Amino acid sequence: MRKKLTVFLTVLLSFLVLQGFNSYAQNKIAFTKYHNYSEVQDALKSLADANPAIAELHKIAVSPGGKEVTILEIGKNLKDKPAVFIGANFEGITPVSTEGALYLANLLLNSKENTENVKWFILPLPNPDASENYFSSVVYEKSTNDQKLNKDIDDQVDEDGFEDLNGDGFITQMRVKDPEGTYKISPNDPRIMVRADAGKGERGEYKIYIEGIDNDGDGVYNEDEPGGINVGINFPHLFDHKNKDAGIYAGITPESFAVMKFIYDHPEISMIETIGTSDFCIEPPKGGRRGGANMQSIKIPRRYATQFGADPDKTYTMDEIIEFVKPMVPEGMEVTASMIAGFLGLGAAVNPQDNDLKFYSKLSEDYKEYLKEKKFNTERLDPPRDKDGSFELWAYYQVGVPSFSMNLFTVPKVKEEKKEEEGLSLEEVEKMEVKEFIALGEEKITAFLKANKAPEQFSAKSIIDMMNSGRVTPKQMAGMMKNMPKPVKEGELSEKDKSLLAYIDKDLGGKGFAAWEKYQHPTLGEVEIGGYLPFLESTPPASMIDSLCSVQIPWLIKLSEKLPEIKILDEKITDMGSGIWKLELFVENKGYLPYPTSMGERNSQPASVIVLLEGKDLEFLEGYSRTPLGSIGGNQVKRLTWIIKAGKTSSITAKIESKNVGSDVKQIKIGG
Amino acid sequence: MKRYILITLILSFSVLTFAADKGKIEVPLRFDRYYNYDDVTTALKALNNAFPKLTTLEVVGQSEEGRNIYALTINNPETGNHLEKPGVYIDGNIHGNEIQAGEVCLYYANMLLSKYGENEKITKVVDKNAHYIIPVVNVDGRYHFFEDANTPDSNRSIRIPKDDDNDGLVDEDGYDDLDGDGNICQMRIKDPFGNYKTDPEDPRLMMRVRGEEKGEWTVLGLEGIDNDHDGRINEDSEGYLDPNRNWGFDWMPPYVQSGAGLYPMSGVGLKSIAKFIEARPNIIMGYAFHNNGGLWLRPPSSSDIRIDNRDIAVFDILGTNSEKIDPDYVYQPAYDLYPTYGDFDSYLYDIIGAYSFTGELFIEDHQTYRKDTKKPTPTLQDQSQGRRGTSQERNREVLDFNDHVALGELYKDWVPYHHPLYGDIEIGGWIKMSSRLPHPFMLTDLVHRAAAAVLFASENTPEVKMEVTETKDLGNGLKRVRVRLSNENALPSMTYQAITTKLHPKDILKVSGVKVVAGGTLTDQYMDKVNYKEYRPEIQFLSVPSYGKIDFQFIVEGKGQMQIEYTSQKAKDLKASVKL
Repeated sequence: MRKKLTVFLTVLLSFLVLQGFNSYAQNKIAFTKYHNYSEVQDALKSLADANPAIAELHKIAVSPGGKEVTILEIGKNLKDKPAVFIGANFEGITPVSTEGALYLANLLLNSKENTENVKWFILPLPNPDASENYFSSVVYEKSTNDQKLNKDIDDQVDEDGFEDLNGDGFITQMRVKDPEGTYKISPNDPRIMVRADAGKGERGEYKIYIEGIDNDGDGVYNEDEPGGINVGINFPHLFDHKNKDAGIYAGITPESFAVMKFIYDHPEISMIETIGTSDFCIEPPKGGRRGGANMQSIKIPRRYATQFGADPDKTYTMDEIIEFVKPMVPEGMEVTASMIAGFLGLGAAVNPQDNDLKFYSKLSEDYKEYLKEKKFNTERLDPPRDKDGSFELWAYYQVGVPSFSMNLFTVPKVKEEKKEEEGLSLEEVEKMEVKEFIALGEEKITAFLKANKAPEQFSAKSIIDMMNSGRVTPKQMAGMMKNMPKPVKEGELSEKDKSLLAYIDKDLGGKGFAAWEKYQHPTLGEVEIGGYLPFLESTPPASMIDSLCSVQIPWLIKLSEKLPEIKILDEKITDMGSGIWKLELFVENKGYLPYPTSMGERNSQPASVIVLLEGKDLEFLEGYSRTPLGSIGGNQVKRLTWIIKAGKTSSITAKIESKNVGSDVKQIKIGG
Repeated sequence: MKRYILITLILSFSVLTFAADKGKIEVPLRFDRYYNYDDVTTALKALNNAFPKLTTLEVVGQSEEGRNIYALTINNPETGNHLEKPGVYIDGNIHGNEIQAGEVCLYYANMLLSKYGENEKITKVVDKNAHYIIPVVNVDGRYHFFEDANTPDSNRSIRIPKDDDNDGLVDEDGYDDLDGDGNICQMRIKDPFGNYKTDPEDPRLMMRVRGEEKGEWTVLGLEGIDNDHDGRINEDSEGYLDPNRNWGFDWMPPYVQSGAGLYPMSGVGLKSIAKFIEARPNIIMGYAFHNNGGLWLRPPSSSDIRIDNRDIAVFDILGTNSEKIDPDYVYQPAYDLYPTYGDFDSYLYDIIGAYSFTGELFIEDHQTYRKDTKKPTPTLQDQSQGRRGTSQERNREVLDFNDHVALGELYKDWVPYHHPLYGDIEIGGWIKMSSRLPHPFMLTDLVHRAAAAVLFASENTPEVKMEVTETKDLGNGLKRVRVRLSNENALPSMTYQAITTKLHPKDILKVSGVKVVAGGTLTDQYMDKVNYKEYRPEIQFLSVPSYGKIDFQFIVEGKGQMQIEYTSQKAKDLKASVKL
């Protein structure tokens, strides 16, 4: 008997193991090298082939260069589950982010727990034309795809690109002595070129060009490099149509168009993560942009002001305007900030919503703590900020879901000796109230402005005036100052140059900089070719990929655990007599993140959760069968009430209907 | 529900549209009728069959519901390939209910083709221009406007379902043709506390009660029921995605401007049209027809956007002419009507580099029945219950117009109906083919005047002439050659905006066959002032201005034939040669 049981168990176990093996094959991608386009395609295919039950490839577009844009879906077996979309390397100049996406795919397919409740869409190469440059025989950084574009609008297309004149395999710089030159060799390090300061009577000696010749003989060098549109800035939030690399309108190139279409065709996507240049995980999305409506100070156009009984010369907060409008709409209709903003024509939001910055800040603190525990060096050069028209901004502002971006690598920052008595930091000022800031007094404010190299027209007095009249807040001012280039200390290299040189010397054994060497240029005469190598700032040696990903990438999975999850917590039935009942439903968001984000609320996207009540012979006296839940904060409970007519023994099916925050069903018995 | 079907069946024999029983569609086409979607297709095929040499009919793409979107190209191959000539683009009916916009396009095509070789003006534009005509942009909209019950205003959208009432369901509570007459009219109910009373002068009309007057009616809104039982009627009808807010230039998301669509060019039919247009960089003039109001709108469509003053001067020439063709029409910048983002007109101007107009066809006030031709003055605080706050006097007149001029075809008298929610009500009012659409007898006049405005613009597309104005021996084997490019028409060889934004390459003047020592723009022919170009003097970049000229001077070395080539993205290319 006992023996039989053992045999049975063995068979059962081996069956389970086999099953497990089938759906969760041990996937191996070696993260010891950078994968080019065809290797990434192969890797995606092998991952999908090895996991047919849960994984599937979606070929969503073909780039102008004829390369496929492919998304790996993990969790195709899941129904009614939220999804996370991961896009990496939109600008094509961060190959390590593509590795990060593959690393994540590998990680997910090797561990069951993260693929049972969340579906994943992973897009490692949204800009396959540009990203291939890293692997070409002549390496140079370029974000544009292979769309033909006459950038210098002359008689030829793509005719004046770069040339690797010295044949070292890299496009670097050329410096040439020129009486009109504005550059000189840095007195601190002969490798570095700095601008001569005419204000100090300095005269430049050199002009700097990118390596190449004037192929079309128009006197300009390399101004019509083959290549068209930077997919990474071809998205419609703050799309910059004046930037030629952005394309003439958002979505004009098939890669970005297909990504937008895919995301809106999959309403289950409830979080978007970008691996690339900016880093919202470390630092919340920045504000300080001008042009957006200030929800605390809105002027009501005269034609509406008279209807509201408001003063058209005064400003009001959004909450005040909502109060004006409430009595004007039918009873029971919810007046939202989104409705008012659209009605008053307040335009697009350009800065993150205050309520969203709360979760961004908290999660950023958590992430820093997490990195500290992993003993990961966070002393590194600041990641570039989000760009206008970027994917991650579009995800936050238009798709209306939490959008997190992650930069896997920047060069370590050189440790500076502790500076004596630093004064106020931008971060401290950012948190101040107007009164608090003004209370610092002119002297302290002047010192702060000077230390942070504020433009000269901003004196302490003018700033105080601006704050008193409500034109700027300390937060907005600090936001703007953060976007200015970092002040350089006199007589020293910039922090960036110092860090890059230290990194080259210590970590790369001198590689990473092409020493300036003489070259006889056909039109410029004797030049020197040299400078930082392309991809130096963004792309670590391949040996570091694994360690960088193994610490940082799991955080993207941890973020998915913060997704909102909406359930029916409890119900209460009150007998009002004669077959009439009051039903109260307590709906809870079990997740940390709100649904939707404050931005999602402003833009009415994604769709609201619907609470659906159904039952035989159910009659609604107050409320309706389908009720939009509206917004619900993280870990919050919302009460909904109905007055219904139903028999004592009947039962109601209450459902949570949503494409992206899970589902729930509860049978409620009337009369207990 | 069954009851509605039965009523629909009974009444379907008496459905009132102007499309039925219109006879055979033959060239030349008739314009005392409206063409439904299939009729438009038949008409285009008829034009194509009748003029196989001058026309090409192609399917640009399919709509959301899979209908073909047709483009008719009119080009005389004997005078060159269409891409070589200044392109004139004309479309209509981007909003599904704006039907006559399609007829204007058909009329223009019919006019060019049937008068070619007979009328001098027409022959000239057919020979010198390429015309691209898409009569119906919103093919699903046109189809459904005719086939389904509608109001004059409904059915604008393209057919991308949208949840307008945020209940998780899409397009589930549209209008319902309760009386099955093919129109969505008004519903009213007897109500002593209502805001309206019967107009004593015309019992079909109502007017607001004032002071202590007794109410008689409450207006319940447009024909419909609460299909989704949410306590609201007709709050989630088809769409809404406004196809004229979905274009790429300066697009803004739906929370900034409703109807924008989730992302630019998300309309599949629109995207196929964009592809068609972007493959024709020679387009320099564009018209998009709508209804109504009697407006000629030019860019910009938002006051935040500035456009080049020299372009405004060009628009003014065309706009002023259009205003004179029908003096009740007004020419103005689009943002003066209301600001829009992602509209088609701006797309044509800012992305394609074409001078573009939106024509808002038809003025309701043209429906008159009176001796005195002076316009009635609508009085504020009027008691009227009509469209857009017109005066009661005017409402009576339009009804008189319906009775005495339009054969009573535009208005349905009130009839009793038993509504599932309201009980006994009455249904009646203006039918879908009214209000924004001229009665067919007025259509011919309307489409001709609009086509005349387009014709003037086509005539004014750039016609560049090139002449060698001087060759002078400078000694030392050098010669001075002056070349003049001139244009007698209103449109320059490219928009000034396109020059400012570097949208596309400028025109090119290229000299070959001799060595060009120096070359540049001649700014003063008497003082011999020249802006010499430092590099590649044999290639000059330029644009030929509106009603003007530009001169070039070349200092050349060598003998024999000097070849001069002018190439332009928009204007026709030219060649000349001089023997030195």
